[in-house]
Amino acid sequence: MEDIASRIVSRATALGCEDAVAEVVANRSYQIRFARNEPVISSRWRERTASVFFVHEKRVVASEIKDLTKADEAVERLVKVAKTSRRNPEYRGIAQGPFRYTRMQPDPKILRLDDGNDHVAAAVNGALEMGAKECAGSFWKYETEHALASSNGALGRDHRAGVYLSIRALVGPEASGHGIAAASRLSRFDPAKAGRKAGRVAALVKSPRVGTAGRYTVVLDPLIFGSFTDHVATLASAWRVLAGTSPFGKKIGKRVASEALTVYEDGSAESLARRRFDAEGVPTRRTLLVQKGVLKTYLHNTSTAKRFKARTTGNAGLIAPEPHAVDVKPGDWSKDEIFAEVKDGLWLTNTWYTRFQSYVAGDLSTIPRDGIFRIRKGEVVECWKDIRVTDNLLRVLRNVVALSDRTEQMTWWGEVSVPNFVPYALVKDVRITRSAE
Amino acid sequence: MPAEDLVEFAVDHARARGASYAEARYEQQDQEQFILKNGVLDALFVGEDRGIGVRVLLKGALGFAATNLLTKAEVRATVDAALKCARTSKRKSPIEFAREDAVLANWSVPEGERLADVAVEEKIQEIARIDASVTAQGLKIPARYFVLGTNRIRKDFANSEGSRIRSYSPRMRLYYYLTVARGSDAEQTHRDFGWSGGWEGVRAWDLETNILEEARTMDRSLKEGRKSPEGKMDLVVGPHVSGIAAHESCGHPTEADRILGREASQAGKSFITPEDVGMRIGSDVVDVVDDPTLEHAVAFYLYDDEGVKARRRYLYKEGRVHEFLQNRETAAALGTRSNGAARAVNYNVEAIVRMANTFVEPKDHSLEELLEGIRFGIYMKSFMEWNIDDKRFNAKYAGREAYLIENGELKHPVRNTIIELTTPAFWSAVDAVGKDLAFEGGYCGKSDPGQALDASLGGPHMRLRNVYLR
Repeated sequence: MEDIASRIVSRATALGCEDAVAEVVANRSYQIRFARNEPVISSRWRERTASVFFVHEKRVVASEIKDLTKADEAVERLVKVAKTSRRNPEYRGIAQGPFRYTRMQPDPKILRLDDGNDHVAAAVNGALEMGAKECAGSFWKYETEHALASSNGALGRDHRAGVYLSIRALVGPEASGHGIAAASRLSRFDPAKAGRKAGRVAALVKSPRVGTAGRYTVVLDPLIFGSFTDHVATLASAWRVLAGTSPFGKKIGKRVASEALTVYEDGSAESLARRRFDAEGVPTRRTLLVQKGVLKTYLHNTSTAKRFKARTTGNAGLIAPEPHAVDVKPGDWSKDEIFAEVKDGLWLTNTWYTRFQSYVAGDLSTIPRDGIFRIRKGEVVECWKDIRVTDNLLRVLRNVVALSDRTEQMTWWGEVSVPNFVPYALVKDVRITRSAE
Repeated sequence: MPAEDLVEFAVDHARARGASYAEARYEQQDQEQFILKNGVLDALFVGEDRGIGVRVLLKGALGFAATNLLTKAEVRATVDAALKCARTSKRKSPIEFAREDAVLANWSVPEGERLADVAVEEKIQEIARIDASVTAQGLKIPARYFVLGTNRIRKDFANSEGSRIRSYSPRMRLYYYLTVARGSDAEQTHRDFGWSGGWEGVRAWDLETNILEEARTMDRSLKEGRKSPEGKMDLVVGPHVSGIAAHESCGHPTEADRILGREASQAGKSFITPEDVGMRIGSDVVDVVDDPTLEHAVAFYLYDDEGVKARRRYLYKEGRVHEFLQNRETAAALGTRSNGAARAVNYNVEAIVRMANTFVEPKDHSLEELLEGIRFGIYMKSFMEWNIDDKRFNAKYAGREAYLIENGELKHPVRNTIIELTTPAFWSAVDAVGKDLAFEGGYCGKSDPGQALDASLGGPHMRLRNVYLR
């Protein structure tokens, strides 16, 4: 694979490109989708592609070459396209290598895993034991091999693997809970626990009533808090700031969250997204994104970093900087203390469909799903349904009162786009709305 | 080996190895996409995506595998992988497919000016020209970007029942995101255009007129816009709003796979149950349709990705649930026939139940007629933020361009009008439907791995009586 990556880069530079990166990826992932407590389809992938990035006199072209037997012809065609394209005067180059990468190996037990049905059964049984009637979700074994070469001397190889399970358990049409299990070591993978969590929340939902609009103190489960922290990292991409689709423009060094919140971006740490290098070949690292509520940096590739007079954070994607994984520094409250602190409020366990009215202002709404509970003096006293969080991202972040002392790895369909290590969060004064009568 | 031979080989191999049903789908997607950000070409993406996906039914279990390594040996290994998936699947109740006749077909979308014949520089030039027009208005536009994408999709489909279908579908999408400011105040918008056909679609979109108009109305809203009134009042919505409502609260809840719980963990379920055909959702004037055969709509097709002939489907008719969107798996489970709604975003994912071009069927009112009966209300022409819960019952649409209506006349702009209503409350309040059908492009998200698929969302103006707005 390194040979192919290096050959693509050599060919592109021979044709006049000043910058070239090629990353050859072999995908051998495997998935089981399940619904109504049993598998509905199981899938396997056998793919090899090369993601390429060429620059010819500041004319930038990117592609995914699918037929690697004809890579030379593809490179020639792409360089020809680049030559007829337009200059990007804002383009400032790729990182200068070579680089040294940390040693990291995938778990051989995950590589050997060839059948995920027992993990699905463990999750489903876990949920059923807690009272669930119907379960649906996905099991994934991710496995990809990567070989990257750049015209600036980056040369790296990476082998990534992880296991993931997402389960939604239902006791009735309006009584559901969700659980996540994610690990890059099979010994740390606990699908039964995820199933029990989903089942426990679902079983807790009794006769939900339509909620009442107002402002509430809210406990956010890691899954829904992960949606908010995922947005922090995604919208901190320098590309989003330059495109006017981020509330973090001109906010470096300014308060964007409460002092309770410290957020790192970290593709180098143990997670489903752990990787040696970004799309330019820059080694991944731990980047302090928000320190005690103050925004410290945007996420950069080499080109955006130069525009902002900063250093790359090792977050290059094929075209724009993007987060790999998010790590929220845990607080010093126990989970029980967080709940006990709520004299009269809500516990939200999951959300989806977060949309912004204005990205620059941060105005958004998101729809809690699965268990929604009214809590008084730390105890569940009522179950709700059909509410919406209608607020502002920065306002919610600034109203974080406390975080629990343990984080969990969350990533979920549509809402938590990359692994987020998140605790329970206590947030005051969250605006809740509902459909009109 | 040519693609049509590879898919045939895949199906034959699967049958020889014991599959009761097998299908293979070759797809080649020739893509071009560029981002023009703040007047600068950010990057140009050119892709030649191709591969084969194989789905098998073996002893009542479904297996799927995909590869982009197009040799006979690799396709054989891919079929074996799909069979292995099915064989190891621990299922108690067998999956069945509804009966379909074999089809031999070759269809394509007419391409007036072939996308491949238009140089990428010409495409960039066209969008750059529109971008320059926008910035020449003298408005304060701190940020903007345009994404233009073309995709030429070739497919070869074969199944073990004898169907052989070849298709060619050129598509074009334009998405733009615009920020207009006055002082420290700003409004943002994003719009999406879709087209099946050739480069002539750019002229059909009338981009320049639309975008300039949008920028001016954003500026006017910042300058003259007032707080939207709160309370119960009449509402006229534009095609942009009726289109998203048709998609979100009619199309999604009538997807049979959601109704049956197959999507429960991701895109969710539905407030509609299998027994709810005939249930009243809206007033008698509400007819909502999904039609893949709509010429030039971005989700145009004649046969779906299971080889079933496409047809128009009435989802809500005269305000009642009329028909679900079905593929062969859901149709068998519900004792009916597929109506050709199975689609996949590419070769490497299974085809599932999807909407195509979903819209409110137009009636006979002009906009003026809709307005003239209103003493006090809001005209919400377009929206920005929106969402709906995972059972498709509670929706929200936040106004982008909206105006106060007094005694049948449009007055000043109002800002951030909020419609937050249940699906029955929204559709039951509709008392008149316009005749001016218009469409917006969209990406519809569903499944795992996520499949963001071309869709179009449309409708005419509609009038809703006595709904709560804020």
